[in-house]
Amino acid sequence: MKKKLWRTIAPLALVALAGAGLAGCSGSDNGGSGGKVTITVGNEPTSDQTAALKVYKKRVADFEKANPNIKVNTTTTSYDAQTFQALVASGKMPDVISVPFTDIQSLIARGQVADITSEIKADPQASKVNPTVAKVAQAGGKTYGAAIGAYTMALIYNRALFTKAGLDPDKPPTSWEEVRADAKTITQKTGAQGYAAMTTNNTGGWSLTALSYAFGHTIESQDGKKATIDNSATKNALKLYQQMRWDDNSFGSNFLLNQDDVFKQMAAGTVGMMVNGSDGYNFAVTNDGMKKDDFGLAPLPQENAGLGTLGGGSIAIFKPKATQAQISAGLKYVDWIYYRQYFNEATAITTAKAAAADGSAVGAPGLQLFDNATNDRYLGWVKDEINVPRDNYKAYLASTTTLPLVPEPMTQAQQVYGILDNVVQAVLTNKGTDIDSLLQNTQTQVQSAIAAG
Amino acid sequence: MTRITTPARRPPDKRRQADATGTRTGIGSPRAGDGRAAVGGRAGGRLRRWVRAGGPATLVFFLPTLIVFALFSWWPIVRSLPLSMEQTNFISTQWVWFDNFTKVLGDPLLPTAVLNTTWFTVLALAIGFPVPLVLGIAIGELRRSRQIAAVFVYLPVILPPVAAVLLWQTFYDPSSHGVFNTVLGWFGIGALPWLNSAALAMPSIVFQATWASFGTATIVYLATIMGVQTELYDAAEVDGSGIWKRIWHITLPQLRGVILVLLLLQLIGTFQIFTEPYVMTGGGPENHTLTILMLIFRYAFVSGNYGTATALSVLLAIGLGILSFVYLRVTRRWSNS
Repeated sequence: MKKKLWRTIAPLALVALAGAGLAGCSGSDNGGSGGKVTITVGNEPTSDQTAALKVYKKRVADFEKANPNIKVNTTTTSYDAQTFQALVASGKMPDVISVPFTDIQSLIARGQVADITSEIKADPQASKVNPTVAKVAQAGGKTYGAAIGAYTMALIYNRALFTKAGLDPDKPPTSWEEVRADAKTITQKTGAQGYAAMTTNNTGGWSLTALSYAFGHTIESQDGKKATIDNSATKNALKLYQQMRWDDNSFGSNFLLNQDDVFKQMAAGTVGMMVNGSDGYNFAVTNDGMKKDDFGLAPLPQENAGLGTLGGGSIAIFKPKATQAQISAGLKYVDWIYYRQYFNEATAITTAKAAAADGSAVGAPGLQLFDNATNDRYLGWVKDEINVPRDNYKAYLASTTTLPLVPEPMTQAQQVYGILDNVVQAVLTNKGTDIDSLLQNTQTQVQSAIAAG
Repeated sequence: MTRITTPARRPPDKRRQADATGTRTGIGSPRAGDGRAAVGGRAGGRLRRWVRAGGPATLVFFLPTLIVFALFSWWPIVRSLPLSMEQTNFISTQWVWFDNFTKVLGDPLLPTAVLNTTWFTVLALAIGFPVPLVLGIAIGELRRSRQIAAVFVYLPVILPPVAAVLLWQTFYDPSSHGVFNTVLGWFGIGALPWLNSAALAMPSIVFQATWASFGTATIVYLATIMGVQTELYDAAEVDGSGIWKRIWHITLPQLRGVILVLLLLQLIGTFQIFTEPYVMTGGGPENHTLTILMLIFRYAFVSGNYGTATALSVLLAIGLGILSFVYLRVTRRWSNS
């Protein structure tokens, strides 16, 4: 009996232990040969976007016709922080794939993107991208990607709730004192939560960083070597959180929210305002079913010392093992698929028509990639296809050319955001949190995170 | 799991005998008398006997299991050892030997994660261990509707874990409209912050995890109880013992082996808690529900550092190995009694 039990338990324990293992494997790579270059590209529209997929396939075919020495293999593979490492490990990373602004610097730091400095300089369209946007994909004087879509952190609000609370939806708050006052009014008049903030999965730190910029300070020095989180701007941002949460009661009661959660609440009409990316139209309206006339968008309110706002978006990156010929071919593909609509009327119209047919937004607010003239010309071409009430975002759209874009923290941005999640959670879940000492501690933590990077 | 239903009063020497002869049948186990044949002939004879005894069929049936385990379980475990000593971006790889371990051990979040995980395990054992045992015995005592009771108890296990976690997340809504807070309100108790409170977050997760998993253990206990020979109970009843005495003197001793196994499995399982805190709290508030596996996840999928993630996995595996070893040593005497 004794031995028997042992013999039964031991293998069971071993099998259970196996769960603690973490696997990795390595793969091989294949490129082009002879005169013809073959590239594999990700982000093909998925099969539910019927019209977009059809147009995309046609455009890829046209591209191949225009460039007979380039063969394009398309896949629906898209970037996901959780699967990207496996994609690299298996060698299945496409030669061209788009990644979010928030992750590009860590990919550069890890050496998982190709340097495309010389290719991008030679490219007629990619070199015209708004320099503040293009800068996002640069490090140490080199360029590692081509920006293909951009947005800024902005104030998203529910216009219906504004009206219900007796506020003017066409006059969103322009200072943080007004945000606080409006949040209070919304809660008092409608019972809805006046203001909401994301707090988990690094989004708490991400939005606090945007608020710090709006209040007038960065959280890391410009070279990314020093933590500067213990500053008066961040302090004031947190104080605002504290007042809305504990004095005004306009901040709700759940403070473990990720990006999906807050957009669902915004769409459901239970939250009045929040800070999020201006591309949020797609989340709130297209995905979560918010009425498009209820979606309000305003520039990120700035204090007197405000530095500007944090940018976001997508960048096309290239596989580190891609050959120079593949990078050149890939960049040509990026030009054709993502930039051509801004320079070619027919392309602009077909692409916009397909998007509208799929129920996607055309003319959704964002940050323009090219200069005003190019952008206005594009909007003129697609004006009949625009299905978004752009008049509701006048103030925001005007701000995109004037409000400076402040880059993300240079070193270990994601780790720093993770640390700041806790700061936000502390202020929102513990009444009377001492913000001064909290930020002093955080300063040390962020500094050691920077040192570890 | 099969259990030996030898009556407790059977003499020990006979038990050992049964052990030695009864169970061992093996593929190609050597038998006395083969030794005298020539080497080649012996091997051929063995092969022939193996084939005649259905060896190839056994192998074919065994192969899929073997391949799947080797590919998805054993190979990753082996592979994790070198990976824990490398720094890799999966394009180029350098050996950094014990740097990853130094980094992990120097991470200020590691003590937090270990303490949180231990706290979860303690709570999960305190709440989650007795519940299925009591339920198993209680259902075992039922005369009628035993099966329907078992079905109800097992029901939560059938729900997909993440769906169940999300369901509980809405139960734990900290506003006064939340399900639990509404119930508390009936008794005049104010709204509790549940997952938003540093003190309540972990117990809240334990409640959910216990609810989600107690069905399995209950069914195992129940099955064992059903296997207990009824003569034992009959004899006890004839001797005039009541329900508590029967449980104490018959049911629990008969369950001993199963209790030991389930306790160890629960110990190992709870140390690997991930889904519940990941979905419900993201580790918050202020890292109060950050567990070891969440830290591993962050290393690998947020920082993209598979070296440190694997190093911590290896450390966890070693820790659990030691824990299991000590546990088995300590309980050896008990299981033998």
